[in-house]
Amino acid sequence: MSGLSAFLILFSLVTFVVGQLFLKRGMEASACGWRTRRFIFSFGTGIVSMTISFFLTVGLLRHLDLSYLYPFQGLTVIIITLLAGFSLRETLTMQLTIGSLLITAGVVLVSLS
Amino acid sequence: MWQLWRGFLNPRFQIFFGAVVVTASELFLKRGATATAGSAESWGWTGLASLRSPFVWVGIALVIVSLLSWLYVLKHLPLSIAFPLSNVVHVFVPIASWFFLGEVISSRRWCGIALVLIGLIVVAKPFAKIEERL
Repeated sequence: MSGLSAFLILFSLVTFVVGQLFLKRGMEASACGWRTRRFIFSFGTGIVSMTISFFLTVGLLRHLDLSYLYPFQGLTVIIITLLAGFSLRETLTMQLTIGSLLITAGVVLVSLS
Repeated sequence: MWQLWRGFLNPRFQIFFGAVVVTASELFLKRGATATAGSAESWGWTGLASLRSPFVWVGIALVIVSLLSWLYVLKHLPLSIAFPLSNVVHVFVPIASWFFLGEVISSRRWCGIALVLIGLIVVAKPFAKIEERL
């Protein structure tokens, strides 16, 4: 894996995670109305971030095997769970963390086979 | 009828519904992509050639439905619970590929599916208890 591939894989993961976090913020903000600045900013950032991630993934798939790329995406389960706890201040229990780790391991195993 | 609609709008059901819709979209996209795989356009690598297949359009419509369902889930459930649970799709897609497309699932993949299932149960159990108390 070249340095550029590693950077693009990392960037696609970061944009996916950021996209999910902003979409969550946006949907929470939608309770106060669809025209609020907070909703428009969060929802817009989420959609743009997810779109960048999508096209980066498609671009990476032109050069890398799906079976090689997909396990990295499995890592988003545990990353999003932990970041939802830290940045969105959601309650993280030990059981939730262990469950997320098991799902991550399962997704990676499914992708590798 | 009202009860049925309320059940459909339950965020936990929407996670399940979204996963089923994503699985269906993957099957349609795969079928459409396979049907147009022979085309030799210079821009074939973009996947745009697959847009000639009606199966791909059905797949795209289902992707939009699943996105709307996911946004509804995000509005009502914590991301730290909803996102791990949405990974039930990694159980549905291989099983659907095996059942509908006749693809072979290796023993390692079955082990992965079992791990995902155990993880889902571990995540969902305390969540169910909290809802019971409410």
